[in-house]
Amino acid sequence: MGIITVLWEKWVEFRRDFYKITVSTMISPLMYLMIFGLGIQTTSHGEPYLHFLIPGIVAMSTMTGSFGATAQNMSVQRIYEKALDQVMVSPTPLWQFIIGQVIGGSLRGLYAGCVILLLTSPIRTDLIFNGLSLLIMFLNGMVFSSIALVLSFFAKTYSDAPRYTSFIITPMSFLCNTFFSTEQMPAGFRQVISLLPLSQASNMIRAIANAERPGFIGFVILGLYLLVFGIIAVVFIYKKKNL
Amino acid sequence: MIEIRDLTKRFGDFTAVDHLDLTIETGEFFGLLGPNGAGKTTTISMMSTVLLPSEGEVRIDGQVLDRKASEQKSKLSVITQEYSMRQDMTIDEVMEYQRRLYRLPRDKAREKCDELLEFAGLSEYRKRTVRHLSGGMKRKVMICRALLTEPEILLLDEPTAGMDALSRRQMWNLLRQVNGRNMTIVLTTHYIEEAQALCDRVALINRGALQKLDTPQALIDELGAYAVDETGDAGLKSRFFHDRDEAIAYLSSAGHQASFRATTLEDVFVECAGRKIS
Repeated sequence: MGIITVLWEKWVEFRRDFYKITVSTMISPLMYLMIFGLGIQTTSHGEPYLHFLIPGIVAMSTMTGSFGATAQNMSVQRIYEKALDQVMVSPTPLWQFIIGQVIGGSLRGLYAGCVILLLTSPIRTDLIFNGLSLLIMFLNGMVFSSIALVLSFFAKTYSDAPRYTSFIITPMSFLCNTFFSTEQMPAGFRQVISLLPLSQASNMIRAIANAERPGFIGFVILGLYLLVFGIIAVVFIYKKKNL
Repeated sequence: MIEIRDLTKRFGDFTAVDHLDLTIETGEFFGLLGPNGAGKTTTISMMSTVLLPSEGEVRIDGQVLDRKASEQKSKLSVITQEYSMRQDMTIDEVMEYQRRLYRLPRDKAREKCDELLEFAGLSEYRKRTVRHLSGGMKRKVMICRALLTEPEILLLDEPTAGMDALSRRQMWNLLRQVNGRNMTIVLTTHYIEEAQALCDRVALINRGALQKLDTPQALIDELGAYAVDETGDAGLKSRFFHDRDEAIAYLSSAGHQASFRATTLEDVFVECAGRKIS
């Protein structure tokens, strides 16, 4: 019930800011697609670079969409509006609130990814996006929503949310299998980057797009991230003395 | 019944609430008074689980109140000092969010919501976003939101701050009405006359510690029910008397820059806190 309440609140926000959310979702990925995919026309592994880029951009959009929506929303609610107090006082179980936030944030990421899929659909690429792709996008969104939740509990000022984006999301966007394969990275660094959630999500979405089977290990890694950050978020909201 | 036992809150080296012990009876209108920084808001925040205590506990009807205690929390409603609500929601959406958080039946809540917004004079603004309301109107929305759940316990942290005199009086009447329905109310306020008019008992706290606890009248009687104000070089100075004749005799000897009046709760407060707050 508490989960539905949070999703209702997210829906109210989405409905009100539909155009702003949609346009802001499109701008960065579109720029990347135009510059790297259409502007600088090149090939990767004998294929047009766009074939490599689109799955990476889709994965990246689910990450930025989920992380941004959750980190921004929670920071504003907790620090600026103090609206989180209303939830803390209410009888709604707080673990349900956390799950609602994670799912709600992930749906925003999924929406961002779907917008990119829609925008790139006129380009003939023969890439495959199916239900499993959507599931991976959703899972990736849940991982980054839970990370955003944990970080937003650490935030001391309203301006901390954009800082987290600069420190975490921007480096991941560029390094984690979005624009180039992690296989080209130096040993050691490559293994670390490969273990990051966006690398796994990009890998799996790209594998499906190329009619290959996504590795099972990617689901396990994303699931572990979700479990760890989800538990931290729940522990924080119940135990943190000064929220 | 609310039992506060050994309640302490520290922020680093600073102790905001210092081993506070209080028992608030069911149906009581209880005032928590103190100067700025006395620990009133921190106490209310711990009573609503927004903050967790460093030591001690709050019990509601014998059960420890913590963030997991959904049953205890369903009895509570809070009006915080700040406008703690989504600024980009309309009044209707704020009320609907509250209904959902407290799992209230839709029809009953809608009826109650209409009644509260009508009473607060907010019916015509219900489609307006909170951001576009005046400070007083936001305060009224918070009061309506808190009362929507028909709580057994209402925690009010400066509920009438920012309201005009007329709205404040309306709110007093509303609070008296709901208190008459056996609702326990805990109020912090800077308006001492508000506490004197409304509260059955008041606790004076300073630097996080309990200084005095009694009915407003008992506290006034303890200080002396009659006051003589003298204006001298050092400013205004008040003397208090238990006996009316004694006060009048003093007034006669004090000269023309002195006046006689009844002692108020504010006098008790100023004497106790050592500084004027309202």
